[in-house]
Amino acid sequence: MSMEATELQDLSDDADYAASQQQGSASMMRSDSGKRSLQSEHEDAVLIYLKDNVAIHPTQFASERISGRLKLTKQDSVLFLSWIPYKGQTSNAKLSEKDRSLYTITAVPFTEVRSIRRHTPALGWQYVIVVLSSGLAFPPLYFYNGGVREFLAMVKQHVFLARSSEDQNVFIVNDFQSPLQRTLSSLELPSSLPVASGQSVYPLDGGSSSENQRRTSSDVGNRVSSVSQSGFRKQKSHDPTRDLSIHLLEKFSLVTKFARDTTTQLFSENNGFGSIDKRWNNQPVHSYPEKLSNIAEEKHHEIRHSYSENDLLKDDEISYIDVPADPLEFDKLSLMWGKPRQPPMGHKERRNDISPSIKCRISTEYFTALLDSEGRVVESKALRERVFYGGIEHQLRREVWPFLLGYYAYDSTYAEREYLRSVKRMEYATLKQQWQSISPEQAKRFTKYRERKGLIDKDVVRTDRAFEYYEGDDNLHVNSMRDILLTYSFYNFDLGYCQGMSDYLSPILFVMEDESESFWCFVALMERLGPNFNRDQNGMHTQLFALSKLVELLDSPLHNYFKENDCLNYFFCFRWILIQFKREFEYEKTMQLWEVMWTHYLSEHFHLYVCVAVLKRCRSKIMGEQMDFDTLLKFINELSGHIDLDSTVRDAEALCIEAGENGAASIPPGTPPSLPLDDGTLYPQEDDVL
Amino acid sequence: MPSRRRTLLKVIILGDSGVGKTSLMNQYVNKKFSNQYKATIGADFLTKEVQFEDRLFTLQIWDTAGQERFQSLGVAFYRGADCCVLVYDVNSMKSFENLNNWREEFLIQASPSDPENFPFVLIGNKVDVDDGNSRVVSEKKAKAWCASKGNIPYFETSAKVGTNVEEAFQCIAKDALKSGEEEELYLPDTIDVGTSNQQRSTGCEC
Repeated sequence: MSMEATELQDLSDDADYAASQQQGSASMMRSDSGKRSLQSEHEDAVLIYLKDNVAIHPTQFASERISGRLKLTKQDSVLFLSWIPYKGQTSNAKLSEKDRSLYTITAVPFTEVRSIRRHTPALGWQYVIVVLSSGLAFPPLYFYNGGVREFLAMVKQHVFLARSSEDQNVFIVNDFQSPLQRTLSSLELPSSLPVASGQSVYPLDGGSSSENQRRTSSDVGNRVSSVSQSGFRKQKSHDPTRDLSIHLLEKFSLVTKFARDTTTQLFSENNGFGSIDKRWNNQPVHSYPEKLSNIAEEKHHEIRHSYSENDLLKDDEISYIDVPADPLEFDKLSLMWGKPRQPPMGHKERRNDISPSIKCRISTEYFTALLDSEGRVVESKALRERVFYGGIEHQLRREVWPFLLGYYAYDSTYAEREYLRSVKRMEYATLKQQWQSISPEQAKRFTKYRERKGLIDKDVVRTDRAFEYYEGDDNLHVNSMRDILLTYSFYNFDLGYCQGMSDYLSPILFVMEDESESFWCFVALMERLGPNFNRDQNGMHTQLFALSKLVELLDSPLHNYFKENDCLNYFFCFRWILIQFKREFEYEKTMQLWEVMWTHYLSEHFHLYVCVAVLKRCRSKIMGEQMDFDTLLKFINELSGHIDLDSTVRDAEALCIEAGENGAASIPPGTPPSLPLDDGTLYPQEDDVL
Repeated sequence: MPSRRRTLLKVIILGDSGVGKTSLMNQYVNKKFSNQYKATIGADFLTKEVQFEDRLFTLQIWDTAGQERFQSLGVAFYRGADCCVLVYDVNSMKSFENLNNWREEFLIQASPSDPENFPFVLIGNKVDVDDGNSRVVSEKKAKAWCASKGNIPYFETSAKVGTNVEEAFQCIAKDALKSGEEEELYLPDTIDVGTSNQQRSTGCEC
């Protein structure tokens, strides 16, 4: 870890580091896989094109620019793009060497370039924006001596370049499908460009749900128009006649500054990683370069953000209330950190021309590759990172969820897990026998049992019955759910049964498809979330309190608004937290969100950052309409089904990173789903009989 | 006194889990019944415009989670209530026995200015089930309880079929309105709610 920190420090200090060591910038612009080999492309690379005086603008002031040299090189028939800033030649003293190294582009292969957008105004400088297939985009590269056309012509000689049918200024590299256009169009800012209807937003979930994408793209036309009507009107000093380039520059400069501040902070604190939750110091931290690679992403992220918000609100009314600015200085801009999601783990192995059973096997094989010969998960953090950034292909969930939930130990072998399953199966049967052996006569004298069973019976028949797995009369899975919950209420008699538990169990049973396995996964989950259901509701109150602290930290005007309007109890988020958004998303999306949260990758309390992310997206609506507690509760409840999962998770990730140690410090120790602090009475008993 | 007219009437529905609180609310507001309502988590409300004489009101009907351990949330949801609807299932003795708890808990948490005269309405739901053959709480027993609590109006309903739901809520709305007006006038003692008007299905004469 310290080695890595040192390296990064070097990189940030030495502008030419990246240029001389391909390693630095290669990782800076690391693709999603993060595994791109660090080619030594200069050794026998052929120089194809060289252009001097190509600059980027880290601030909105044209005078502040970083000039450099743009190059195309070719090696092994792969074309590479590089842009290296000139050493010690900034146009303005305010720009540090660090600024320059931030933007260095070293040998990005065109296999990773999705498109190039050119901008060649009659007046002003020409520039291009290079968008990677990951969705990242580099800042605009300004051709101070002109020559964009030649540059593109040169590229075209070496890679397949097709002009987008939607925008003649967009050139798609190696394109096959429309998702590219989505990315490209998402680069445009609705406030400064008339966006044609029919254009679509960036793919929402890495292609895992094409249906959703289609729906999204078909909706966009409407949303775009409403965004341009209302969403940006509140922005001060907005002048629709301003050139896009200036607008882009502004955005980038803000982001740049933000990135700089954050990274400076990052390095100035202990071990260079101070702003990341210390409790997670055994996990990989987002490396400095990796973060930077996200800078350019804010374009599409912001626009999607706007769409989503507008989509949520559906209301084109212009708010006349002056909503205080977001304290995170750049509001939405700061929310650009979240990395784009990958396809679910195991997704690449999915093919449509093979039977489900083979699909399942292949998915399993993919997972198996992460295990050593005896079945241990070699690098649990790598697994958790992979899941965090893309979820799990459904067939694979059954293998992975028990690890995430803590039922299986990561370092257990195949044999140990097999043994565990058989032991646990017997144990489950014994527990189940405890209530099954209660005779009707005994039950008459066992009020607690009768009432508990009655409550469970009532709830299982109204849990996800519209979902295929549980639908229909005399559904066996509903019976299994009942048996598991009743058994659990004997396993953990003090906690018993509480409404909301069936919401948790339902997807677990659907995934595990085995009563005993589902039971033990549920037990593992309740080890962390049991306090949500305590009689004293303490677990809930702690989380709501932590949420209020996080909002105070990450959005003080919104916090103050809640304070003034007597909303600080955050009860309007009760359902979100109690069952971790189960009622807010459709079934599949809920499972995706859960597995992401269960990784505890950035924080054990990622769900709280998800809450902040959603609230933040709605802040202008909430404050603009001056919602009182009742209206707010209703509004939040009605968000159900209208929250975009992918962008929300990315926002949450951004917020979590941004909050850093301060965020972690806002969350009291022992707050669920942290494991309980002590082994005392976990579930305090009061007079409640159930 | 047009300026002091209340336009929002807040009603809270309480009762054990599964007695049909959500169904009653939806039947009244949306004239719909579904077998697929999920257990209510937290709280939610629906609104409905109601008219009395020439005045229009918004009835805000709060539906809450029925499990006892969520009662501590009531503090946030009950405040400012104008009427409390207690619901039990005529086929469940337990849900009837718990009415006292619900009533007391409400009075503690909502802490209305005049708890003695705060308007409650009792609803015995699910009278349609098994054509009444599985019924365990008699009408007589329910009315006796109502009488003991200051003559609470009582209705027997079927949220599924829609029986008596409209009537019950009209009474609820009237009670809420009266309660709201009392509060405004700061004359809680001048209104006598204690007169006997608890006849089943006839609505309340308040």
